[in-house]
Amino acid sequence: MTGDDRWYEAAFVVGITNALNVVADGLGAAPMPQVEPETAPAEVQTVFADIRAFYGTGTPVADVLGGQIPTPFGLIAHDPGYLADVWAAVKRAFTDRRLSRRHKEALAFAVSLTTRSAFGTAFHLGEMRRLGVGERGVMEVVGVTQMFSSYTKIADTLQLSSDMADIAPADPSGVPDPGAG
Amino acid sequence: MPTVRLRDASEYPEPARRLFELSRQWFDYDFKEPPAMSRVMAWDPHFGGPHGRAMKRAMAPGEFSRGEKEMVAAAVSGVNACTY
Repeated sequence: MTGDDRWYEAAFVVGITNALNVVADGLGAAPMPQVEPETAPAEVQTVFADIRAFYGTGTPVADVLGGQIPTPFGLIAHDPGYLADVWAAVKRAFTDRRLSRRHKEALAFAVSLTTRSAFGTAFHLGEMRRLGVGERGVMEVVGVTQMFSSYTKIADTLQLSSDMADIAPADPSGVPDPGAG
Repeated sequence: MPTVRLRDASEYPEPARRLFELSRQWFDYDFKEPPAMSRVMAWDPHFGGPHGRAMKRAMAPGEFSRGEKEMVAAAVSGVNACTY
């Protein structure tokens, strides 16, 4: 896992996952209705169609969602332009590049579990399974998440300094071209 | 500054120092002193032993590679705002 490009990809997955979870968990139970696909304006329906295609329909994720459009997208669709931009960022972040989509879903699941996001945990668990991760693989991610949730709190309680900060390998890849890949 | 005085490896009994050698192999890096977390865990082998074994089980290659899991661990640590 050397090369900064992988870490940029991971960071974007972590960030946008948290962004989706904040809206889904924070607004999901609030008196703010989601935009329904059937009555959405054409520009929203176009984005919704792309979302459905990306996540698939009739899948475990769809079952988790209880509908066809993930909650955070339905909630932000009241502003079609904003929805389109957020979705473009999400799709870019989760698309196979240097990191596989399967690995990115594992990262998102771990982040959601760590932040106690009910939406994100269920959603990304469903995505992991849809992408072929078995129960053993799920348990592996649960184990890593749990153990490092322990290590981090022990380290913070004792205010330990990193042993590894000075030995990260140099990145030979340089600054990536934003338009590449 | 750490809340506790981290002991040097030489201050630990021999069984703990053998664990430090395993830690060096795990990280595949020749630290001047064992990593701080290894020395913390060695303070109580009855806690650190099973905790470390659970970590190694979780991090072992399976459906996900060790590298993929290290990245998951880094993400979890970042979300927990832990710089260690």
